[in-house]
Amino acid sequence: MNKTFLVAMREYVENLKTKAFWLGIMALPVILVLSILVPQWLEKGKDVRYYAVIDNSESRLLAAIDERSTFPDMEKVLRAAVDWHAEESAKFDELPEILRRTVIKLKQMIDEHTQSGTAEAAGEAIDKDEFTDEVIKQGALEIAKAVGPEGLAGTAAAGLVSEEILEKVQGVFDEQVKKPIKDWYDNLSPEEAESFRSSLSKSRYARIAIKDDGQDPEEAARKMLNDDELFAFFVIGPDPEKDSEGCKYVSNNQTDDSLLNWFKRLANEEVRFRRIQSSAIDKQTADWIQAPLRFSSKQVSEAGEEEIVEKGDVVRQWAPVVFVYLLWISIFTITQMLLTNTIEEKSNKIMEVLLSSVSPLQLMAGKIIGIACTGLTMVVSWVIFFLACLKCMPLFLDHMPDLDLSLIARDPVFLASFLGYFILGYLLLSAILVGIGSVCNSLKEAQNLMAPVTIILIVPLLAMVPIGQDPNGTIAKFLSYIPPFTPFVMMNRAAGPPTTMEYVVTTILLVISIVVALWAAAKVFRIGVLLTGKPPKMREIFKWLRAPVGHVQVRRDE
Amino acid sequence: MEHALTLEGVTKRFGSVLAVDNISLKIEKGSIYGFIGPNGAGKTTTIRMIMSIIYPDSGVISVLGEPNGESVKDRLGYLPEEKGLYKKMKAGEIVAYFGKLKGMHASEAKHKAAELLTRYGLGDWVTKRCETLSKGMGQKVQILGTLIHDPELVILDEPFSGLDPVNVELMRDMILDMKRAGRTVIFSTHVMEQAEQICDNILMIHKGQKVLDGTLKQVRSTGDQGLLIDYDGDGSFLSDLPGVRRVNDSGKQAELFMTDDANPQEILAALVGRIDIRRFDLREPSLHEIFIRTVGGESDE
Repeated sequence: MNKTFLVAMREYVENLKTKAFWLGIMALPVILVLSILVPQWLEKGKDVRYYAVIDNSESRLLAAIDERSTFPDMEKVLRAAVDWHAEESAKFDELPEILRRTVIKLKQMIDEHTQSGTAEAAGEAIDKDEFTDEVIKQGALEIAKAVGPEGLAGTAAAGLVSEEILEKVQGVFDEQVKKPIKDWYDNLSPEEAESFRSSLSKSRYARIAIKDDGQDPEEAARKMLNDDELFAFFVIGPDPEKDSEGCKYVSNNQTDDSLLNWFKRLANEEVRFRRIQSSAIDKQTADWIQAPLRFSSKQVSEAGEEEIVEKGDVVRQWAPVVFVYLLWISIFTITQMLLTNTIEEKSNKIMEVLLSSVSPLQLMAGKIIGIACTGLTMVVSWVIFFLACLKCMPLFLDHMPDLDLSLIARDPVFLASFLGYFILGYLLLSAILVGIGSVCNSLKEAQNLMAPVTIILIVPLLAMVPIGQDPNGTIAKFLSYIPPFTPFVMMNRAAGPPTTMEYVVTTILLVISIVVALWAAAKVFRIGVLLTGKPPKMREIFKWLRAPVGHVQVRRDE
Repeated sequence: MEHALTLEGVTKRFGSVLAVDNISLKIEKGSIYGFIGPNGAGKTTTIRMIMSIIYPDSGVISVLGEPNGESVKDRLGYLPEEKGLYKKMKAGEIVAYFGKLKGMHASEAKHKAAELLTRYGLGDWVTKRCETLSKGMGQKVQILGTLIHDPELVILDEPFSGLDPVNVELMRDMILDMKRAGRTVIFSTHVMEQAEQICDNILMIHKGQKVLDGTLKQVRSTGDQGLLIDYDGDGSFLSDLPGVRRVNDSGKQAELFMTDDANPQEILAALVGRIDIRRFDLREPSLHEIFIRTVGGESDE
């Protein structure tokens, strides 16, 4: 036992000195950080698209489009302002005074309403968050239509709140407030717009006026386009409600069509609305036709009641997939290390010296334990980094990405089963690889024998997403009972979650196969390590397994 | 006298090949025992069985008085034929590691490793990685790893292979040091001169069987006497001399074996004038001669 420990120690210490180990340790943090930062950089790095619109329509389509683009942006602004107010964030103080005042008033209104019991009496939703959402939406709508006609009123937010609440919201967003906030929004530069939690359309698309020097506006716009002052310009035809005649989009970059799509969607919504209005359909019918169907996401609690789906539950559903991937990578990296180290000992001819001091079983056990410690060090440092990231990330980033990772961290089931399955999965695979390593004299030989193992191991990786979608499906259940897949598939199903019975039975199966695999590996190892020349055929290996220990006929190797 | 090692009827078969065939042997404590024999004779297999790395099919091996070789592993030192080190480990570390594997305390092993390396001229390499060592140095590090725990029985498989004369000398001194310290040394070689220089006893194996076993003197007396001459000049006529049965001619030195009725003086007279003789010696045949005669010039590689 003491010798096993010595072998394990050496293995561990030497592995800690290798580059592969440190690359492995660094891999996850680097990937994690990059996967968070790169999209943000890319988002930030996107140029602001300056565009112009020549509105030839008699019905002032552009003004209505303006309203429609203001509405979702305003909603985001209010949402952020309300949150900042609650978090007592310094950012709240940077907002213009009029907006701050309005938000405080809005909060008061919400508090009063949810506490007074009026909502309850009216039989409405009394969930504060839900109510806040509705009020914010309505408020944004009020501001968006501050200047325009009433076109927007009946569309997206139709039937959002009751008359009574509408009155209250309109009380907060009164005439003195609406205009200044809208003016503030209109003058918001793309850079300022960037600072809001979810990027506003304003931060991506900035409309500028066409230089008016008395000539044809299209001529002027074309000149600005060529001077790179404009990314694109739109021309709205004389009668967009009738047909598309005269509408065009002019840009020298037709590959980035996000601006076009964004503008087109807003314009289409407005035109569709107007067409309905101009038909012999009364306003209410039009509103009703336009009103989208909304499905509220619910799930059933253990008590059998429906409850609202929280963001964390969605993350919970998908977090296992991330863990499966990490599990796969870590087990694969570590067992590769075991394989190369075993082959190194053989090709360096050090095996026999070791065998004069330790028994093959001690040597094998020491190697497996030493590498397991290496792997645990790697995995645990990943976990520590992960947790540290959650703590420190907000210090470095303006805002956390919209992933509630802390929910995973707080749930010990994920981390515990991750570590447990790491060890079990490692033990099973290590038995196979140490066996392969012991009969090979070079990595090249080992690669041939590794091929079937790799192919089998790819299965849980391929099944990762399907199982994530249906954690208790037939395939998921079936694969859970195949020992080489058990750690990955059960981890994959953690959100299901599988029944206790399944956990017990699959674990027993897994442990039994680990014991059998280690027993077989010990036999193969004992003979394999002294073998020189060609790796043995499978038939030969099976013969070794059947013979009693120590009396296997090794090929002559002198 | 107590025996460091006894083998009784040890047999090992690999498939259809009989690698070791019914070998019996007794080795006295404190002696240097040479295992000689051509490649593939079964030397390494015998040694591996002594080290309990593989087990005999039949027969009994008793090491240091223990029938179970596993239990005395810590009192043995073994340098295998295939020699290697962990490339990334430092010389001091690896020697100490071998010591620890043999049951030494970590601090003691570390100390002893540095001391041994310094004593054998590798003091500067204690903290250097093994991959930077030359082949000769690597071999020295290895043998120090074999000796660090003061083993009672040391088994060296081909310790001289690949060494330059300076290191051969050093290796020989180390083996003699061990003998002086009262340890038993077994080494295998197929360089007969080395065996001749330092062995007390010789075991010759051929095709798995013991062909000769005894003290150097006993072994050599099994052959008839020969004439050893050192000379300069063209010795191509030597084998044609009357009264000469066989010649081992190395160019500057030759061993002549005579027919039964030949007279050494006549042969000397025949030589004088044709070549320049610096030494003329009537003596027991060399181990080389015995080896060649026993193996019959063939070597089943």
